[in-house]
Amino acid sequence: MRKLFDFPGGVHPAQNKQQSNPGKVLELPLPQRLLVPLSQHIGAPAKPVVKVGEQVQKGQLIAQATGFISASVHAPSSGTISAIDAFPVAHASGLEAMCIELQTDGQDTWHQDIGSADANTLDDQQIRQRMQAAGIAGMGGAGFPSSAKLATDKPIHTLLINGVECEPYITADDTLMQVHSADIIAGANLLLRLLDQAKCIIVIEDNKPQAITVMQQAALEHTDIEILVIPTKYPSGGEKQLIENVTGKQVPKGGIPADLGILCQNVATVKAINDAVYLGQPSIERIVTVTGNGVKQPGNYRIRIGTSVDYVLQQCQAETHANPVILGGPMMGFQLPNTQVPLVKTSNCLIVPDPQELPGKDTSMACIRCGQCEVACPAQLLPQQLYWLAKSDAFDKIEQYNLMDCIECGACAYVCPSQIPLVQHYRYAKGMVRQQAAETRQAEHAKLRFESREQRLLDEVNAKEERRKARAAAAAAAQAAKRAENPGAEDPVAAAKARLAEKKAAEASAPPKKAAEVQVPANHKDLKTAAAIVRTKLKKASKAFADAQAAGHDNTDKLQAMVTELEQRSEAAAKALADFESNMGLDPEAEKLAQVAWAKANAQVRKLTKAAPDESASDTEKSEHQTALTAAQATLDQAKAHLDSIKNPSQEAKS
Amino acid sequence: MDILIYAVAALTLMALVFGGILGYAAKRFKVDGNPIVEQINELLPQTQCGQCGHPGCKPYAEAIANQTDPINRCPPGGETTIKALADLLDVEALPLDAEAGVDSVRKIAYIREDECIGCTKCIQACPVDAILGAAKQMHTVIIPECTGCDLCVEPCPVDCIDMLPVPVTSQTWHWQKPEQLIATDRHPRVVSQGDIPA
Repeated sequence: MRKLFDFPGGVHPAQNKQQSNPGKVLELPLPQRLLVPLSQHIGAPAKPVVKVGEQVQKGQLIAQATGFISASVHAPSSGTISAIDAFPVAHASGLEAMCIELQTDGQDTWHQDIGSADANTLDDQQIRQRMQAAGIAGMGGAGFPSSAKLATDKPIHTLLINGVECEPYITADDTLMQVHSADIIAGANLLLRLLDQAKCIIVIEDNKPQAITVMQQAALEHTDIEILVIPTKYPSGGEKQLIENVTGKQVPKGGIPADLGILCQNVATVKAINDAVYLGQPSIERIVTVTGNGVKQPGNYRIRIGTSVDYVLQQCQAETHANPVILGGPMMGFQLPNTQVPLVKTSNCLIVPDPQELPGKDTSMACIRCGQCEVACPAQLLPQQLYWLAKSDAFDKIEQYNLMDCIECGACAYVCPSQIPLVQHYRYAKGMVRQQAAETRQAEHAKLRFESREQRLLDEVNAKEERRKARAAAAAAAQAAKRAENPGAEDPVAAAKARLAEKKAAEASAPPKKAAEVQVPANHKDLKTAAAIVRTKLKKASKAFADAQAAGHDNTDKLQAMVTELEQRSEAAAKALADFESNMGLDPEAEKLAQVAWAKANAQVRKLTKAAPDESASDTEKSEHQTALTAAQATLDQAKAHLDSIKNPSQEAKS
Repeated sequence: MDILIYAVAALTLMALVFGGILGYAAKRFKVDGNPIVEQINELLPQTQCGQCGHPGCKPYAEAIANQTDPINRCPPGGETTIKALADLLDVEALPLDAEAGVDSVRKIAYIREDECIGCTKCIQACPVDAILGAAKQMHTVIIPECTGCDLCVEPCPVDCIDMLPVPVTSQTWHWQKPEQLIATDRHPRVVSQGDIPA
């Protein structure tokens, strides 16, 4: 007989297991709609490999695992994919996650590739492959991908199979062991084959006598499989507590059981491994306990992954109007914010308690420092101290009290005479510690990037300066070389400087020019432009003045003054232009006419040139055209001369 | 008398020896710069947003170390940073200076890519090189690198940058602090006239 160790703390809550009638698996009709989340496990979500509208068969791969710690997802029944989108999932936050929605066709036909295999003909690598392809994730609750767990390179000497099921109410594993004992033993043998030199211990709590008997019967012929019965105590089913209970050793902080040479698997996971390897069936169903006084037909139901909680409760005739729905056990489970969520690989229990059964602990009293929580804590922490620190948001200190070693079993809150929701405080503090750690990491990263950017900008500026200096040096060298070539020539810079100084001196000595002299003599174009500008300004000012008056603004005097001044200026400019034109003998009207005449003649010439007759035309045609062209050319020359004479009368006079 | 001389001599000798050791240590292990600046900088959120009025977190850390600036001018850090700074410097925690800005949820910049004209102005403004793009090419924000500092929003000539709060995912979600009700809060006791002792 194996010597049993114990683990510290623990509590003995009322079992409440008989209500769900362990030992019998009940079937539910296939639901019309299945909603399969892509992330039912710890690690990276799976990637969909099907499209909306696609027909799938039962067991067909619908989402592929991405990365090492990930699990594939398969169609739980045959039907049509109706959506790949975010839906609310079974999470305490009520948040949405990516899911594949499947409308079942009721045929429930297996995919053609699914078939049984003789494990004796498979080698170890093939067994591992079949396990990985089946998308098995720990079905005890944590959902760690089993293939990743098995891929450890540490030597394993003990395979612990967890059939403890220490939480009250839940009987899913109990039932599984009673109904599928042979499958579990076969699965255990498969694992033993993969783990050289390991022995297997199947651990069951002593409150499941039927399961123990059946399992012992099944294991009779297998000398390397031992059925170990342990006393009932919560939370003996926790991985770390189980190991301490059986081996007396503690998993090191931050370590995994493989560090002690131990591998833990839940019985349901082992059964799933058996199904995957021998039958080729992926992880698409599980046994779920539906219990609580609010359920009229409690029991253990075989449920397809992706079945809605609502559907299950409806089929079991649960009264959910006044009662909460708890997913998981009464100690570690959480109340579902929304029952329109799917059950996944890790969901083992649904409880619908009536108000007397599990009274909500929404009121609590002050901590009286009784210390009972410290006695109950299986992780040997100081729950009271953690509570004070969490309450005062002292997150750096709470880590020194090993908050992260808390397994959130709820034993402390169970014994608390003041009914303080201790675990909720720890969950909050854990979340904040993780968040702050993430923020610190992010800040560190941002700092690095900021500093490297600053360095880069500085380097750029320095490089620019360097280049500038190099150019200056090269130019200086070229100058020096030039000077060296003809030493007789004077320095051009010095010469230029001297010239500049001379010019300045001359300017200083010369009398300042009169403004009139400096003024550029007016020409026709400038005058025209000036007149136009003043006209525009006047127009604008007049409009502004009119607007201001219409709007009834005060202070329109200024505008009026402006308009008057502009009127005068406009008149002056127009007069200057007219004077200039009359002085120079210009006539704007005549010029316009001449311009039009020239343009007409020009067009005529161009038209005729274009319409020149080709070679085949008769001589008469050619000569006619030639005459017309010559005449047009003459008209054009005349128009041009006339225009020029009008434009520049002085020049004409000169010539 | 001899004893007195020996004692004085021994003490003098010891004083000289220890003085020498201290003098050597002061030279040998001299710390360049102000180590407190680094410690303060560690506590700042490194968003490099400049809301404190300094070009980056390090200059603000220097200003705090030189006591030219108060510790409450960092809106991205909020209460937590002020508390941590107060603990480190052993001063009183002040409420956040409203002049510098308000403490709000963490935000991330998103470029509406259809509207981006590829002017590269935001790229030049980003203190952590979190915007990817080239001249006349569409720009985009590298989301994991964005610190939410806001500095890219202002230079954008077409206003195509949005600051959106970081969405909560099942990876980042965590439990809220339980609102602890004590029994007497739930059922407030009605105090009648007779209860009050005369």
